[in-house]
Amino acid sequence: MSIADTIAYWRYRLVPDHIVGEILAKRWIDNAIPFTILIVVLVGFGVAVPDFLSIGSMTALTRQLGEFGLVVIAMTIVMLAGGIDLSVGSVLALANITALAMMNIFGLPVGAAFVITLAVGAAVGLVNGLLIGYLRLRAFLTTLVTLIIVRSIVDMLLLKYAVQISAGFVDSDLWEFIGDGKIAQVPFSFALFIGIAIVVHLVLSRTRPGWHLMAVGGSRRSAHNVGIHVRRTVCLTYVVSGTLAALAGFLFAARLGGAGSDTGIGLEITVLTAAVLGGNSLGGGRGSAAKAALGAITVMIIINGLVRVGAGSGANSLILGLILLAAVAIDVRWLKNRHKVLAKVYVSPAFRRLPDPPSTERGSASPYALNDRLHDVSVIGLGEIDGPEDVILDENDHIYAGTRTGDIVRFFAPDYSQQEVFAHVGGRPLGMAFARDGALICCIGGMGLYRIAPDRQISKLTDETNRTPFSVVDDARLRLADDLDIAPDGRIFFSEATIRYEMHEWPVDGLESRGNGRIICYDPGMDTTRTILRNLNFPNGICMTHDGESFLFAETWSCSVSRYYFGGPKAGTVETVIPALPGYPDNINRASDGTYWLALVGIRTPSLDLALRMPGFRRRMARRVAPDEWLFPNINTGCIVRFDERGRILDVLWDFGGNNHPMITSMREHRGHLYIGGILNNRIGRLPLPDADPHWTGPQSYWGGK
Amino acid sequence: MFGVANLTQERIVLALALGLTTVFSIALPGFLTAENLLSLVRSVSVLGILGIAMALVVIGRGIDLSLVAVMAVSLAWTLHMVATGVPLAVALALGLAFCLLAGIITGFLIAYVEIPAIFATLAMGTFIYGFGRYFLITLDVVYLPDAARSIVWIGSGSFLGIPVPVLVFGGVCLLGALFLRYVKAGRYVRAIGDNLLAARITGIPVRPIIVMQYALSGLIGFVAGLVTATSVASMNIRVANSTFVYDVILVVVLGGIGLSGGKGGVRNVIVGTLLIGVLINGMTIMDVQYTVQNVIKSLILLAAIVADTIINPRDEQTAQQGDI
Amino acid sequence: MKGITALLAAAVIMSAGTMATAAGIDDPARASHYDAFKGKRVVFVPIAMGFDLTEGWAAGIRSALEPLGVKFDIRDPNWNTDAGAQAITSLIAEKPDAIVVHNPDVQSYARLLKRAEEAGIYVIQVNMRSSYSTDGFAGADYVGMGERIANRLIEKCSPANGGNGKIAIMQGVLTAAASAYQMKGLDNVLSKNPQMKVVSNQAADWDATKARSIMATVLQQHPDLCGGVGFWDVMDVGTGAAIREANKKVYWITQGGGNQAACDNLNKNLYSEVVSYDVPAQARDIANIIQSLFQNKPKPGATKTTLFSPLTFINNDNMKPGACWTLEKK
Repeated sequence: MSIADTIAYWRYRLVPDHIVGEILAKRWIDNAIPFTILIVVLVGFGVAVPDFLSIGSMTALTRQLGEFGLVVIAMTIVMLAGGIDLSVGSVLALANITALAMMNIFGLPVGAAFVITLAVGAAVGLVNGLLIGYLRLRAFLTTLVTLIIVRSIVDMLLLKYAVQISAGFVDSDLWEFIGDGKIAQVPFSFALFIGIAIVVHLVLSRTRPGWHLMAVGGSRRSAHNVGIHVRRTVCLTYVVSGTLAALAGFLFAARLGGAGSDTGIGLEITVLTAAVLGGNSLGGGRGSAAKAALGAITVMIIINGLVRVGAGSGANSLILGLILLAAVAIDVRWLKNRHKVLAKVYVSPAFRRLPDPPSTERGSASPYALNDRLHDVSVIGLGEIDGPEDVILDENDHIYAGTRTGDIVRFFAPDYSQQEVFAHVGGRPLGMAFARDGALICCIGGMGLYRIAPDRQISKLTDETNRTPFSVVDDARLRLADDLDIAPDGRIFFSEATIRYEMHEWPVDGLESRGNGRIICYDPGMDTTRTILRNLNFPNGICMTHDGESFLFAETWSCSVSRYYFGGPKAGTVETVIPALPGYPDNINRASDGTYWLALVGIRTPSLDLALRMPGFRRRMARRVAPDEWLFPNINTGCIVRFDERGRILDVLWDFGGNNHPMITSMREHRGHLYIGGILNNRIGRLPLPDADPHWTGPQSYWGGK
Repeated sequence: MFGVANLTQERIVLALALGLTTVFSIALPGFLTAENLLSLVRSVSVLGILGIAMALVVIGRGIDLSLVAVMAVSLAWTLHMVATGVPLAVALALGLAFCLLAGIITGFLIAYVEIPAIFATLAMGTFIYGFGRYFLITLDVVYLPDAARSIVWIGSGSFLGIPVPVLVFGGVCLLGALFLRYVKAGRYVRAIGDNLLAARITGIPVRPIIVMQYALSGLIGFVAGLVTATSVASMNIRVANSTFVYDVILVVVLGGIGLSGGKGGVRNVIVGTLLIGVLINGMTIMDVQYTVQNVIKSLILLAAIVADTIINPRDEQTAQQGDI
Repeated sequence: MKGITALLAAAVIMSAGTMATAAGIDDPARASHYDAFKGKRVVFVPIAMGFDLTEGWAAGIRSALEPLGVKFDIRDPNWNTDAGAQAITSLIAEKPDAIVVHNPDVQSYARLLKRAEEAGIYVIQVNMRSSYSTDGFAGADYVGMGERIANRLIEKCSPANGGNGKIAIMQGVLTAAASAYQMKGLDNVLSKNPQMKVVSNQAADWDATKARSIMATVLQQHPDLCGGVGFWDVMDVGTGAAIREANKKVYWITQGGGNQAACDNLNKNLYSEVVSYDVPAQARDIANIIQSLFQNKPKPGATKTTLFSPLTFINNDNMKPGACWTLEKK
């Protein structure tokens, strides 16, 4: 390697460019901006106000935060379902005066006052809910009206009861505790707020009503069309909101014990600000209890801090307005551009220098020299099958092939003109193998490793493995299980081509050439799944060697075939078998004479080989050029290669004209014929092999004759 | 007779207003006099003027919660400048410029930064109040100085027996109607409110029009402020923190202008304003308490919205997502 | 600033004096007096800054205490009771030496004020009192004020005195202490005088515009309205404008801190009489209570001092230059 190449190699090996994109792709990154704002605000006031961060100050802050946070959660719940509840401030005031009247005037016990207060809040919420949910009134206006009505009712009640309330005195330890008490140094109201936030989070993310709510907010029409009770769900959000606001009012009453005329005035604005600042979107669909809490804390700190800084009243509004504008502006721009940025930076190419490709010149002495031997392929199911990535045959000579539509199709022997859907698996069936008991084991892209019993019973074997420590991408879940083979002891080794891309984005992984794939072992006896090899360059085909303690695997973007020993004296080591192929290897399968068949899905091009040594070029391409125009590996024309365990090329089969079977990803030898599949093809090819053992079958080779 | 299908909210509200007028005329002596009716319209003229400003924005699928703050701060600043010796004309020009600038900034935030209108205007309202309170004036209430006597007629004078505020209201209505109907930009506002993306595709300069919309709202706000300040000879900028802006929205919506934009016109604002005027006037004559007035007002508003929804139900399949 | 300069000048003269007459005796109370204020801190929590009352109080207290070396801060909740409660709560943690509180209503702060006293902070309430009595209160006696205003209206409008007895009342926010107590006072008197007829009793929410339209309508219905009372001079600018526009003669009594604007408006005949509870005097009262507390050092909450402000009825006949006060420019 030249010095420049060496520098590029280490530059792209040591600087983890891919982390940026992976972090941006995380769902929690959604909270990054609100969280940053919170930190900035906290630090800002911590510096500006002496002992702002002291325990005493924080205790006072969190006590008010409890009430405020509850109302923000109330608003968030309504907003998640696509509504808005402006009446929360008035409901809080109404609850406040109700609680005080119950305690001070009617002398009810705390429990009874609590129930009545919540009932009052729920009743207002129910009115809102009936009007907005069932009568389909506009949320903004309706709650604006209830805001005014409830506020007027509060004013009337105040006129009537204010004097009596101030005259009364409550002698109750419980009441004192609610207003003033602490649970392990945390004010009661704050502890309650945290508890309710957790409950709301669980309900929203783990329960059916929560999912319904999110669905209604995400797309009301779709939710209606799939049969969710949209109206009831919407109605309930207002009831919950009213109840939570009433709970906050109850806490407020216990803390201050005063029926002020301006209680809760303008609260709806502050609460809305908090909810939006936290990252909950108006109009529904996006948001969470955590976001609500984040926003509530931020706004509370701002308001409290501004009062304590002691600047003039104008300055407070000035700063509050500015912070609000800046925060929402940043959030809006962030939301809008995050996906653009993500699309630009996610692809992070690495340096890769491929060995020079062997010649494929026609008529040359190269073992890969072009020929037309696939010209004689006869075609099965032409136009009736869509993308058979892998094909496999059973003892009765039936052909099994996966299709793009999520089925495993069976063609009946002997003439293969009849077909049926053997099993509908839902995902994209890729590599297949027969187990000792005759069950079909199948890698399903996007789903994992599945078993289809002879009686067509489908069962999941595994869809997750141990997570790599410190990996940003959650690689526990299988994204693209590609090909598998089964060891004599029943263990299943399978490849996962990439952990950074979804199945349909597999060519982008080639552009990146970073080595994102791995090989995983599933042990049916223990029912455990462990990753055994990491950072492989799109590991693809896997085939057991005949010694029973190793397997061959192909790495597509490295154009190489390697051998891994899982048993015997060399256990745990990897040996390169073929270091340089002229094309991109795909599936590997056994041949009848103890050698192996290998499919090359496409042939290397000098341009891409060169590009792989220029990661900066590929990065610029990924950022500036539309994906359709990217330089991708060629996968139009391939060939079939036969090789032995020492890596010698014994045979090569081309379809130079590209007429009968141009696109190849897999092949199976069966009773003197080679059956060929292609992931982008619309047929299965069948080629007679005159020199092969006419009785040899795969299952026999693996499990012996029956 | 209108068929049931023709019963738009505007007509329902108009019918309600006429019905109430009839009831009050019979039941309340002194209601149906020329003076009282003029006083009725007069008392809601500022509300109506602001309603026109709000309507222009709402028709363009926006909302302007900073309207009242702009009105209060700009006028308070103007009066303050006059009191400290700035010539009246210069002060007025500066006040007007302030309104326009505030409107343009708001519009920019909404059109170009793409902050939802409800938040941009909410935050701008808070900001403008704070800015005015901190930098421009010293006390919440600014009195009309003697140097500004020459403009008092705007709020307190009358012409041919009609109070000037009523005439100003009428003038703003007329201009608003002409703008929406005959000015290209006015028609664009409606198009943008109806379908922003379609408007953009057809080549309407959507963003400049949105900016203009808020500048216009600021401008009308200044007119409303002039009427307010000259009729009570003072300006209290605390009105920016009150719920007055909700009343303005209620008038607009009550008249039948949907918050989703594209619908309605000046006529709806007039109808809504009149209903509120008749209600307040009648209840004040009956000496109904202010709080009770609010309840009755809101209940009638609620009834109008419910009636509209029942007669013109929204469809689950065609309702717009995120339309609150 | 002027106050400080004057005081400094006085100090200079005084020290010069002592130097000149070296044989004079030192005032024995002096040192302890100044020591009592060293490093003290007083915080004012109004309903909001930015209007004549609170600005007047703040300026008055500041000019009285700062020369003594007392640090004076303001926490402005800007019309938000909850923010005010937050401010007081955090003050309890900060422990200044005294808090001056302007209550938005009789109850919201009551409990906090009690806690503040328990934490060892002196609490002085100004003008609007809470249901909990603290170390000091300085302000108007609203009930008494209501009674006096009612009597004044009877004097002007009772049929016995040539009026027709029709009066109107323009309240602020119904629940504010000033409104509620004053209504009580008005009721006390008016209920005993059936010849007086309250034709309108509305709340204008401290808003001049609202007051204006209410008065316009009232005058339509009762063109012969004889008199009335409004609860704040700033709001009654609107009431007065409506009366003047209708070309009516109504004896309108309003009230406030006696700011110069009130006198100006009186001059312009916007209203007939202003009841002033002299804000500078109130500020002085507060400062006096604080000084007394700092010197005597009672346990907070142990003593309760109430100083009602003297009320002045100012009208065009008795108005002298200087009847109203102006806020000095900062």
